[in-house]
Amino acid sequence: MKILTIGTLAAALLWTSPAIAKDHEPHFKSVEAKHFPRAEGVELSPAFSDYLYAELRQELTKAKLFDQVIGEDEVVDAGDAPKSLVIVGTITEYKKGSLVKSELIGFGAGMRSLKVDANVSRRSNQQNLIAIHVHVKVSPRWDEKVMARFAAKNIVKQLKDSLKAEAKTS
Amino acid sequence: MSFRRIVPVQWCVLAMCAVSIQVRAEDPKPTPANTITVQLAEPVKPQVFSRPLKFFVVDVIDRSGNAQPMLVFKPRGGIFLDRTPAEITRAGLETCLRSANMLAADRDSADLLLTVYLFHFGLSDSSGMDFFGKVEFAATLKNPKTAKSQQVAASGTSIAGIAIRKKNIQKNVQEDIERAFADALRNLLRGVKLRDAVLALDLPADTPATPSQAPAPAATEKPSAPAIKQ
Repeated sequence: MKILTIGTLAAALLWTSPAIAKDHEPHFKSVEAKHFPRAEGVELSPAFSDYLYAELRQELTKAKLFDQVIGEDEVVDAGDAPKSLVIVGTITEYKKGSLVKSELIGFGAGMRSLKVDANVSRRSNQQNLIAIHVHVKVSPRWDEKVMARFAAKNIVKQLKDSLKAEAKTS
Repeated sequence: MSFRRIVPVQWCVLAMCAVSIQVRAEDPKPTPANTITVQLAEPVKPQVFSRPLKFFVVDVIDRSGNAQPMLVFKPRGGIFLDRTPAEITRAGLETCLRSANMLAADRDSADLLLTVYLFHFGLSDSSGMDFFGKVEFAATLKNPKTAKSQQVAASGTSIAGIAIRKKNIQKNVQEDIERAFADALRNLLRGVKLRDAVLALDLPADTPATPSQAPAPAATEKPSAPAIKQ
């Protein structure tokens, strides 16, 4: 009898938990990521910005928070604008790193690093919703585009966490 | 005795080296097995303009400077496109416009003429952990009545996972290029830049044609390659 009761309770809990989780899941009609320009003095290849943009769009699609990940400067219906987000950002710092330092000293010395600042705003009123700061460090042996991949993942993770936290509080 | 044994072995090693170098030096050749067909899964719906407009695709010019435009992936025997990027772009653009009834039957009945300059079509440098598809072009919109033109740049990108097996590499590359191509067309047809260009160029239907734009004689009707504004 006891086992039956516990089993029923567990089944009920399993059945209702996705519904509870979904209540706090924020949902938006669309999101638009812009190309991140480089701040003065940031020496990265011109293709880097394109690659970061592509990775960011890929990660936003994977996040499943948005019905559509629209392209840059795409026309959006006025009705959808309040439920649409825009991500703008800047690559603020890039350090090439040093393989010699990395090999001789270790402990994170000579690592290749990238800093990106991003702002997420609502399309309808340009209200800033979230400010994102990302700092990525990778081995100087790795290609610079690997940093774009990690930066995009990090941006979307922070965005997801912030939107979920906001949805819970409201 | 030992000399006689070694010589044939050395000859064999040399011959094998020569064969392998020859194989490596040869460029991949297109075969039905390594050729992919890039086409839109579904046509991109263009934005709606203030009045119904008809576009005519005059020409698609490849400006990528790529000696082998149909070779999109060189390692592992290569992956080729079945048509040139210019042909694929033209077909895709016409399909999208036709789906929204915005494709003019001929040059004369068009409100706006489109000339596309293709800068990149295929894969671009990636991190090595994935495939990075990129399609980049600029479309020149020309109003045949006023001879005024505007240029609209569009680009599309896509990321696809890397694969080990040749079959999966081919599938991923095809999907990647198709997504990047659809993204670029969407960027053009649903973009704010196109809307602004059309607003700047479009004239009411009853505006008379200027004398300079009178129909040309039959001998000069052959479309000439338009010059890019530098």
